[in-house]
Amino acid sequence: MGLLTILKKLKQKEREMRLLILGLDNAGKTTILKKFNGEDVSTISPTLGFNIKTLEHRGFKLNFWDVGGQKSLRSYWRNYFESTDGLLWVVDSADRLRLQDCGQELSKLLKEERLAGATLLIFANKQDLPGALTKEAIQEALALDEIKSHHWCIVSCSAVTGENLLTGVDWMLDDIAARIFTAD
Amino acid sequence: MIIKASAAVGGGVERSPRVSLTQKKKKRSCHFRKQSHFSNMETATEASQENKFATDSDGAKIQERIQKRNQERIDGVERRKEEKETRSVPEENTEYFSRTFQAELACIEELLSHCSGEDRAEVVRKLEETTTKTAQLQKFVNDSVMFLTQYELRRSQAALQKLQSSITEARDKAMPKKKFAFRARTQDTAPPVAAPPAQSGEVDGGGGASEKSPPGAATPAQSEEAPEQCGFSNREGELLTKTAEEIRQGDVLLSHLSNCRVRLFGSPSTLHLKHIDSCEILCGPVSTSVFVDHCKNSTLAFPCQQLRTHHTTDTQVYLHVTCRAIIEDCQGVSLAPFSWSYPTMDADYAVSGLDRDRNNWSQVDDFNWLAFRTPSPNWSVIPEADRKTSWDD
Ligand SMILES: Nc1nc2c(ncn2[C@@H]2O[C@H](COP(=O)(O)OP(=O)(O)OP(=O)(O)O)[C@@H](O)[C@H]2O)c(=O)[nH]1
Ligand SMILES: [Mg+2]
Repeated sequence: MGLLTILKKLKQKEREMRLLILGLDNAGKTTILKKFNGEDVSTISPTLGFNIKTLEHRGFKLNFWDVGGQKSLRSYWRNYFESTDGLLWVVDSADRLRLQDCGQELSKLLKEERLAGATLLIFANKQDLPGALTKEAIQEALALDEIKSHHWCIVSCSAVTGENLLTGVDWMLDDIAARIFTAD
Repeated sequence: MIIKASAAVGGGVERSPRVSLTQKKKKRSCHFRKQSHFSNMETATEASQENKFATDSDGAKIQERIQKRNQERIDGVERRKEEKETRSVPEENTEYFSRTFQAELACIEELLSHCSGEDRAEVVRKLEETTTKTAQLQKFVNDSVMFLTQYELRRSQAALQKLQSSITEARDKAMPKKKFAFRARTQDTAPPVAAPPAQSGEVDGGGGASEKSPPGAATPAQSEEAPEQCGFSNREGELLTKTAEEIRQGDVLLSHLSNCRVRLFGSPSTLHLKHIDSCEILCGPVSTSVFVDHCKNSTLAFPCQQLRTHHTTDTQVYLHVTCRAIIEDCQGVSLAPFSWSYPTMDADYAVSGLDRDRNNWSQVDDFNWLAFRTPSPNWSVIPEADRKTSWDD
């Protein structure tokens, strides 16, 4: 009724975030999303196009956009940049041979004006594999320390075991919330 | 009806495009709206404050803030207007897609229902028209393919295929003598990945881990061991083998091999093949994906969850894939069902967690060939008579 109520309602409605999941093909983007949502991960096919999933977590409404990472799809990534609050960059930690490729794609994204405000979470995925590089090694290989344009954090995880997925997403939500939902 | 390619952005939701439409619209303008709404309200609040404290020494400051917020609001409106003009909302394109698709489909079906009768020339003309329209509709789908969910894509493909066979049927009926050359492709009938409604409340990434983790899956202790890569590289003309103990649910990499015969008796978590020339590579059940890049003139055999093939030519794959195989930048890839076996394979299947009853070996997505009506020329099925039946020589 009162002004405060309206204000509160507005804020509640806007406790909504748009999260974009990108990374090379085979990195484990779709698997992370499904595992996070408690779904079966053994039935996932390579993504031809994209998936959207909306879920509630900690009182936030999260709109996840998971876009296919095959080479032929990467030129379409930019169609999903608009209004992104958080970018989840997923890395296959055991795929050493494509780490450079992975770094190049990421640095291209970080130059995108339309992603300028977004919080960046890097998931060093597939940590369950014996050949996986540590997150420190990946941090170095992707030259993350040079990123000044975005708030970022790297979290090692495994979409197969579910390890650390929550930790990563929670960090991201906190960072976005601090930026968006607190008054000026 | 004129068919337009969909705009540069598009999208859809597995669950309900409508929900997302409103969400997205709201979200899109979120940053601006937040600013303008809040500034509206705070302006109002401050205006009344200003009345109360008219003589307050802060009056000038407040005035300044009101002005600033007002300006912000005006800017916001301007930007919004601009935004509206230069971009369209993705979900509107999805809606546009399905509306256009359905309308056009109905129109072609209607036309097709009149493709019979005495006037043969007229029937032929109408049939021709349905064929042309169907081709246009197919093109419309192809042009929109990047912006559709897999569900929508497969659904429209299925509808097109049904239409295609109805046309063929009508044509056979109208012109019984003429044998028709092409037939509808019977793939892509796999059900879409149906997403259950998003759960509200707590989602625990760790929850339900047991559903996938096979007995004996990697334990923390294992991953603490030296992260050495299991595999072979830079070999020529050799017989290379690994045992289950060596593989132990790890990641295996084979690179720069030529004229080698490789036998991996075990269940890796994942398998990568890079720069393979004239090799025969056989591997036990792979729990997750097999990634193949730059492979030629080779024969491969393995069970896996996903097969991802890149830059590969003239290679045969004897495959068991529980989800899907894809190719990108490939030519001459041919497939047959997995047929290799070795004494401890059953145990390795159990470790891998793969479903032995689900094999989609003949369903391949070619990322460079999105014209679904005609099969990709880049892969084929190995005729039964030509399949390898014995693996040991
Ligand atoms: N061992 C292991 N495998 C994983 C993990 N995460 C994903 N995978 C496997 O990696 C493969 C690729 O996973 P997807 O989720 O399909 O990868 P994606 O990034 O969505 O790939 P695109 O859709 O092509 O962009 C699948 O076989 C997964 O089971 C992980 O943490 N550990
Ligand atoms: Mg995917």
